[in-house]
Order: sequence, then structure tokens, then C-alpha cells
Amino acid sequence: MFSRKRTLTFGLAILASCSVLEPVLAEIKLITLPPRERVEIQLDHANATLVEEERIVPLAQGVNDVVFAWTNTYIDRNSIVFRCLTNPEEIKVLSVESPPGQNALVWQVFAPEAGSARIRVSYLIGQLNKSFMYRATAAPDEKSLTLWQYIRLHNNANESFGVAGMWPGFGERIERPIGINETKQLLTNRFDNVAIRKKYTADLSEYGYLDAGKRQLRIPMHYVLKNDERHGLGQFPLKFGKARIFQDDGQGTTAFLGEDWLQFTPRDDEAALYLGVAKDIVVKRNIERREQERVRGQLYDYDIIIKYEIENFKDMPATLDIIEHPSAIRNEIRGNTGRPVQWDLAGNDTLGEAYNPGDSESDRLVFRVTLPERGDDQKATKIVHTLHLVIRNEW
Amino acid sequence: MKPLINTILTLALLSGSAMASTNDQNVDMSTIPPRESVQLTIYNSEDLTLVRETRFVTFKEGVNPLQFSWANTLIDPSSVDLRFLSHQGELDLIDTTFPHAKPQMLYWNVNSEFDGSALVEISYFTSGITWAADYICISDPDETKMSFEGFVRISNHSGEDYAGAQIRLVVGTINLVERVRDLARRGVISQTEADEYEGGRRNRANMPAAARQEIAAGLAADMSMANEKTIVKQGLSEYFIFTIEGTETIKNSWSKRMRLFEGTDAPFRIQYRYRPAEYGHQMVRMYLLRNDTASDLGTSPLPDGMVRVYKDNDRDGLSFLTQQMIKYVPIGQEIELNLGVDPEVIHELVRLRSWRDNFWFHDTNRRKHISLDGREQVTRNFPVSGWDDHDRWVERIRNYRDQPIDVEIRRSFHGHVEFESDLDPTMHDYQSPQFSASIGSGESEDLAYHITTHQGLLAKQNNVTLTRPE
Repeated sequence: MFSRKRTLTFGLAILASCSVLEPVLAEIKLITLPPRERVEIQLDHANATLVEEERIVPLAQGVNDVVFAWTNTYIDRNSIVFRCLTNPEEIKVLSVESPPGQNALVWQVFAPEAGSARIRVSYLIGQLNKSFMYRATAAPDEKSLTLWQYIRLHNNANESFGVAGMWPGFGERIERPIGINETKQLLTNRFDNVAIRKKYTADLSEYGYLDAGKRQLRIPMHYVLKNDERHGLGQFPLKFGKARIFQDDGQGTTAFLGEDWLQFTPRDDEAALYLGVAKDIVVKRNIERREQERVRGQLYDYDIIIKYEIENFKDMPATLDIIEHPSAIRNEIRGNTGRPVQWDLAGNDTLGEAYNPGDSESDRLVFRVTLPERGDDQKATKIVHTLHLVIRNEW
Repeated sequence: MKPLINTILTLALLSGSAMASTNDQNVDMSTIPPRESVQLTIYNSEDLTLVRETRFVTFKEGVNPLQFSWANTLIDPSSVDLRFLSHQGELDLIDTTFPHAKPQMLYWNVNSEFDGSALVEISYFTSGITWAADYICISDPDETKMSFEGFVRISNHSGEDYAGAQIRLVVGTINLVERVRDLARRGVISQTEADEYEGGRRNRANMPAAARQEIAAGLAADMSMANEKTIVKQGLSEYFIFTIEGTETIKNSWSKRMRLFEGTDAPFRIQYRYRPAEYGHQMVRMYLLRNDTASDLGTSPLPDGMVRVYKDNDRDGLSFLTQQMIKYVPIGQEIELNLGVDPEVIHELVRLRSWRDNFWFHDTNRRKHISLDGREQVTRNFPVSGWDDHDRWVERIRNYRDQPIDVEIRRSFHGHVEFESDLDPTMHDYQSPQFSASIGSGESEDLAYHITTHQGLLAKQNNVTLTRPE
């Protein structure tokens, strides 16, 4: 058996015998232990971590047994790739053996002449994981923020890698020492002046009521970051991770506003960070009209008017997204048939002009309205909007 | 650790007149002829290995009892066969005896017409030796060519060391009526099987065809071993055989991995596919290449095995892309490597609108109503019996890669469907239209189509018809 002080052992067995099996089984042997010359940790894959290490191995002329052994680490033995960087045309791997009961591989490497060779061993390793986190500080006017992106490397692989290069799949390569059982957090990017939009959303299906008796909707507030260059981002997709959001309080310090999971955000997509319920924006939603008209037989059209009474008690204007799902309306007024909903906007309402077809789909209608700030008399202006929808051909 | 050899051929030095039925003497003397050569033919579809070994045995004139034993191995007793490779006209196998009390042993009585040495071949099936293929692909940074290396890994858990063995690996699916491991564990062969040994010869009619051919070929084979460590590929009936030239030592509980082939510059293309039935509801990135000589491959079929795909990341290192099992790939067939979702290519399936028309009604529900004062009213509250559902879809694709991409969309629709599009769709099968498009770098495209599903009374078929917009 190998005598190991480290969890990973890379050995060149110097043998009196030319038997390929002896290095592992022989009782008396001499093993050189070439140290790592370079370690690269590739973190660009979503679910796997690839480690590449290079060592300079002295090779004798003829067939050499090069031993790679590990204990208490999570190396995927089937993923190990051995490549010789020195004279790869001449120095060849003849075969590789797996001794019984050991986490080890023995490569039989042919060298045409004696000398040192730089070899690279690549392998997938478990328990060496990454995650991303974000910290954002919003400007006092909440129109922009500074975003820091960090990568956290969790090394529970039971192996120390020394100074290792890391590449998270975007941006610059990072070089840091990675110790055993430690978590290292590294700043990968900082984005200044990222333009943001505060979004208030009225969506009964998704967020429900704040007060069901009064038909008052729960209105969440999100910071919306658009991942494009115009908004100060857009260099690469934003990875999934926790985002903690602070705000500059104008007194040299920051206040914690909340945190949310930033979902994977491709370029040109929007990331919405939920910060809490906006209780200063009151939206009451009522179905004001429901009339059914028989088309023929059991086939009916439904004439629906939904009324929204909206008050903005904030001292600044706000933008509110009103979202309706026609299938949810159909289910609400006549029960679920399981069929997609055929609908038309009647056009004689106040929300028609606010319809946003770019963000809408067949079963998700988005209307964007602007709310004026609270008046000087501290009273909010009540705005009433109506949505006139015809749901057709239901039975 | 001492080498482990459990199969022993013993030449028992018994009194010349005693033809051994079972050796019930208490005092024996024997010699143990060593192996001269051994050949392993390993099948990957079953836990089956055909072992053929040769030994020089010195015979005396008259009846010679031979004992063959295989303690603590996984040999199928019913498969053990003895043949004479020299002095065939002067040696005759009289009978074979399986002693009841010694399940992993048999005796052969051989009649010799000469005094001297002869080369014999013993063949048998064993379980516990397996092989599997695996592959490593490394794409160049431009993702136009890749190295494609195939390996075989042989694992020996048969209980026997095989030193200096010639190794042949069989690709293909053979038929077995009983598992060799079960036969080996059974220990004592049945009377029916024992009867087959009368006359000293096992009826091999029920052996797998490939195994029979192996034995037949082996009789004429030159038993000298080549020295070069290359792997020769050849077809045999419905199978393919990889022969590792030279000899290898595969000790019990060890495994050994060798290169099967190496393609250094295999060209491939990249395609993005949306096929929910195959890859789920996601667009995946594929590497597509072909197992042919134009791809620097094609020297043999590719056996089932794990493929690990890396890419030269152009920063003096590799990036891991994927690993997946591939099924047997014949020479000339395409190899499909699924890299999964690409974060630089965004695919959204958006239903823009749904509507219905072309309604039909079932007129069987005429009802007559009468009020208290005798007035009458007839209602015809008939139900819907047929209609057309319409859905307008777009496949919205954004390409953030620095190269144009090729995409292929294939969706399946159930029922009587008309698929209307100007995307030049074709039918993959009766319910699966497919179409392709090229998306430029940095561009976004909406690939639109209109689905009409005839329902109820109007549903006359269960297939998809392609139409073009008027």
C-alpha cells in the first residue's frame, strides 16, 4: 500500500522489475513525488468542477509507471484524463490500471529517452462547489445602484490546492490559494450606475389579496435590473445567487432593504428582486360586470368589466403593472373548463392604452399605468381604471 | 501478494489399469502442467468470457487420467472442453467424470497410443470478467474539430489471475439461456448435462454462435502472440471483435484500461435542438459527428460507453462540457453528443393567441316548458359537438454567441392537426412537424406557426397536416 500523508499522491515508481503490476504490490519500492507546478480550477460548468494540475515528472527511457492516488477526496476516477505536454507525439500512455481496493491509477507511460516531462492530469471533483452572491447599494433616489458580484468557492473536497487559478466561466481568471475545508469569497465584478426601475405589480393570480374582504390586492415592490449595456450590465448572463440590497441613506451609511434570490438572467432579460409589500400603493379590484350572451346552444360569450381603484400614498410618482390572466378570470366567473381562453379587448375602457403587448402573452396581459404622487394636502388621488374584456366561445 | 491461480490441471499418476471414474484412492501422486498460453474472449453484453488455455501434457501409452479443478472461481462446469492440438490421431478422450462430492472438479480419461508430450487445449466459460468502452472528446477552441479517443477497460473479478493472456473483446448481443454465474454457482451439473459428456465430448449445439466460432477458429489459430500493443478490429457474424495484440496480465480484482482508437481531427457541427420528446422542454446544444473515415474515425463500431466531452478553453486548459452514455454506433452512423442548455442561446416558447371557431352543435336536446297558465316554450339547448381550436405560437430564439447558429425545432401534436407555417416544415413522423432556421450572431428571431386542432365532430384523423399561409 502507498504511504500517504497527503490526500492526493502523485508518484513515479522506480522499479527494478519491468512488471507493470509491481509498483502497487511490491513491498520495497522507491517513489518520487513531484509537486504540483500549476493548478487550474474550472468553474464554468453549471454542475461540475474540473481540476487540472500539472507536474514535472522524471521519466526513464522505456516504460514508466506513473501512479496517481487519492484518499478521502471525491475525485470521479472515470473522469481522469492524463496528458503529456512535453513531446506528446513521442511520450505515450500505453495503458492504465486500477489496483483493487485503492483509489489509485497506475499509468504505463512510454518515454523514448530519459528526461523530465510536464504532464497534466484533469479530473472532476465533488465537494468543491461554487455559488454566487450579490450585494447592491441603491442610490437615495432609487434610480440606480452599484452591484457587486461575488463567487464563493466551498472547498469541502478534503484537499488543499495551494495557489490555484480559477475561472468562473466569464470575466477574468482569478488566482488565489485554496486551503482545505475553507470557503473563499472573491469579488468577480463590480457594476456602477446600474439603472433600475421600481416595479409595483397588481397580479391577483400570483400575489393574492392583502385584504380579501376589501378586495385589496397585495402589491409587491421589485427592483428591476435589465441585463443590457444601456442599463450598465449586459456583459454576460447573471448567475443565480442571493442578492442583498442596501440603500444609501444619505448620511454616509446604508440601510438594509431586503434580500432575494436573483434568478439566472440571460442578456437582455430583466431580473426582478422582490423587496417587500408596498403598502403605500392601494389597489382594489372588483369585477363590476358579468353578462353572458348565448352565441348558440350552450355556447356563450362573457362580457366582463374589471374595475381598479388605485391610490398612491407615496410622495413620488410610481409605475404600476396590472396583470390579468384571462384563464383565471374565466375560472372566477364560470369555472374552469380546461380550455385555453379566447378573449378580446373591447377597447372602450381606460386600460386599453396601457396595454403592453411586448410583455404580454395569450394568457398574461400586462398593462402599465403611471400613478401620480400624493398631493400637497397629503391626500392621494384615487384613480379608477376599467378593463373591458370579452371572453368568447365558452361552454 | 502471490499470484492467484485456482484452475489446476493435474496429471494423476495412477496404476495403469485403473481408469479413474472417481479417484477414491487415498494416496495419489500427480504432476501439474503449467499453462503455455491463455486467451480470453470477453463479451460485453453478457457476463461471459470464453477462456481458452493450452498446456503441454506428457502422456504414457494407455489410459491417462487427467484432473481439472477450478476452486473458488466462476467457471461454468458444463462448458469445460478438452481438445488435443497435437497427436490428434493418437489421443482419444474416453470419458469425462464429474465427482459428486467435488463440485469444482472433473476427470478426463485419455487413451494415448504413444509415450510423450502433447499440446492440449482446455476451454471454458467463466463469469466475472467484463469490459466496457469509454470515450474522451476534446474540442478545439473554435469548436470545429475534436479529438475522439476510445478506450476499453477490462475488469477481472472472476477469482482467477490471468497472466500473459491474449485478450479479445466481443461487441454484440449474444443469446444465453442460462447465466454463466448461475451455472458456476450451481456447482454440480445435472444428470442431463452429465449425459452429454458421455464419450468425452460436450454437445456444443447450444453454445452461442460466436462462442462456437471462437472455438473453431482457435483450433487453427497460430498460438504465437504478437508483441505490438495495438488493437485489431474485425467483424464476425453479427459481432465485432477487438483483439489486443500481444499479451496482458489481468489479475483478479484489477482492472486495466487501454486505448482502442484515436481520432485526432474529427470534424463536427453544432446544432441546437428543441425536441421535448427527447430532451425535455429545453433547447439543447448538440455536437454532431459521424463514425466514418472522413471524421478520422470509422475503423470500428463504437460499443456502448460513457463519453466525456471537454473543450480546449484557449487559456491553456480544458472546460468540461458533458458526459453521457452512447449506444452502439455502427460504422457510418452519426454520433450525437448532448451538451445541455446553452446560457448564450435563449429559447422561449410563447403562445400569442388562442381562439375557436367553426362550431357545430348536437341537436337532440329539444325541451318543452309549460307555465302555470298554460303557455308553452321550447328551448333548444343543444351542446357543442365540434369545433376548431386555434393557437398561434412563436419559438423566440436569441443568439448571444459570436457565431450564427443552426436550430431545429420538432414538436409533436396529438389529434387532428393542421400545422400552418412558412418556415418550410417537414414531417418527422405523422404527428411531429419539424423545421430549421439559422439565427445570426446577436440576433433574435420569432419562428411563428399556427396550429389548428379539429375537435369533436370535426376530428377525422389523428395526424398532422402541413399547410402554408394563404
